[in-house]
Amino acid sequence: MLGKFTSVNYVYGKEGTALASSALSDINLTIDDHVFLALVGETGSGKSTLVQHLNGLLLPTSGTVQVSHYLLKTEKKKKYYIDLDKEQGKHPKRKQFKVKDLRKFAGLVFQFPEYQLFEETVLKDVMFGPLNFGMEEKKAEAIAKAALKLVGIGESYYSRSPFELSGGEKRRVAIAGIIALEPKVLVLDEPTAGLDPKGEKEMMELFDKIYQSGKSIILVSHNMDLVLKYAHEVCVMNKGKLLKVSSPLEIFQDEEFLSSTAIEPPLVFKTALELKKAGLDLNLDNIKDIPSLAEEIRKAKKND
Amino acid sequence: MTSITLGKFSLKNTCIHRLDPRLKVLGMLMFLVIIFLSYGVTRQNYLMYGFFFVILLILMIISRTSFLQVFKSLKALWFMMLLLLVINALTVKSGEVWFYIYQLDIHYEAILRWGYIVIRLILMIMTTTLLTSTTKPMELTFALEWLLTPLKYIKVPVHIIAMTLSLALRFIPTLAEEADRIMRAQASRGIDFREGKFKEKFKAVISLIIPLFVSSLLRSGELADALEARGYDPLGKRTKYRKHKWNYKTTLGLLIIAIFLTGIILLAVYQFDFIGMIMGLMK
Repeated sequence: MLGKFTSVNYVYGKEGTALASSALSDINLTIDDHVFLALVGETGSGKSTLVQHLNGLLLPTSGTVQVSHYLLKTEKKKKYYIDLDKEQGKHPKRKQFKVKDLRKFAGLVFQFPEYQLFEETVLKDVMFGPLNFGMEEKKAEAIAKAALKLVGIGESYYSRSPFELSGGEKRRVAIAGIIALEPKVLVLDEPTAGLDPKGEKEMMELFDKIYQSGKSIILVSHNMDLVLKYAHEVCVMNKGKLLKVSSPLEIFQDEEFLSSTAIEPPLVFKTALELKKAGLDLNLDNIKDIPSLAEEIRKAKKND
Repeated sequence: MTSITLGKFSLKNTCIHRLDPRLKVLGMLMFLVIIFLSYGVTRQNYLMYGFFFVILLILMIISRTSFLQVFKSLKALWFMMLLLLVINALTVKSGEVWFYIYQLDIHYEAILRWGYIVIRLILMIMTTTLLTSTTKPMELTFALEWLLTPLKYIKVPVHIIAMTLSLALRFIPTLAEEADRIMRAQASRGIDFREGKFKEKFKAVISLIIPLFVSSLLRSGELADALEARGYDPLGKRTKYRKHKWNYKTTLGLLIIAIFLTGIILLAVYQFDFIGMIMGLMK
């Protein structure tokens, strides 16, 4: 098990005042190991808030969040960071873990991460994270170079200032900065927002590659095409509540459920559904994008 | 980051909130002047400061401004006060000696002078808190623009200054939000903004300030473009969305301020020993 939310509530602002607003209410969710999980929902449905619990930036107002063996909770306004592996210690202080460990375990990429760049050169900026976690300079440099290569930033960029890059390149560098932490889970808050279609595709393929290498990906997205193509599990959120957790296939087929939310299934999937209704024997499981739809149609025609 | 106290307007509907902002700014200026005047002997000074304190306190109660805010601002100045106390104790050597710390003589005068500074600080913070918590930032800039109108005749671009000021005020919450976001992003990269050694803290601050600076520069460029796209001309004549009418009440308020100020200044100029006179009468 990778993570577990147990009746999590989160309230922004001081409780009981006029400024308090509930962002999460009664979230129960279990995240398996090695997942490609998508979080979908309207703006303001609490996706970003939920995601920030995963690396301890936010602690639940009530309830508990467990990520691997790290447990987060608030009791009587005190924050608890409990390491479940150290449970044998009697004193609660002994059971505490450093929140930095969790930050390294779950790498969080914020929306528009290019705004976090600040170092003189691209390479230094990517090295910044690993160095903060106490890595040696040489090792950090090697990891940074590997991460930059992974996101497709060539050697000629290493000594350039991050501020003179294009928007898409900046985004890649910023994401490399998180990949360089070598997290077990990569949490991405709308990583492809504002990218061109080519950049979007390359970025998603990169995340898929990271997923294939044995890591988990948690993706917040409004783009249902990406969800259909890459995600294996989808969480649908609305107004701070978790409505449904299931496979993309199931969610996009459930018309009744979809009509109660603002989610629109991808055009490819809608087309496939209509074709199936019209009598074509399609295996919806295999439909991920346009080429796979074409392939399925060809197969169905052959069987006719 | 959201606890920035600058221009903390609290939405209430009291007669002080409704008062013409120009009057309020003038009133604040008046208080700031009379706080720094001297009214003769020490006891008389303290009496006058006590009087101002009571007036400000009454105004705060009427406008339902919380005294907590004043206290918070004062708390931030504790180190300065301590430093001033030490400096005063070491340098002021006139008048009677109050007590000794080892070989060091502490004079009454030193403590009294320090008391002046502290009281003036408290009064000053009370005055400014009263103004900023009862006046919207936009109203404040309007009042400033109005007060600076005479400068227009010597070709000072007053309305441009006012526009700049209101834009700056408008962007304080936006920048605070932005700073919060960057802090979270850097925290995800292993920066600890709360703890750590000096060197780490320094690095943490750099990792916040540079992105904040870059994005505010970008933002101001975009804002300028957006203003121009909507036909903003800095030299054009501007009209107001909310108009403040100058009515008899405003004149009355201005008169009260003027009379009060004249009275206090006369007291300060002649250093009239009214305490002595009252005591003489009682005998």
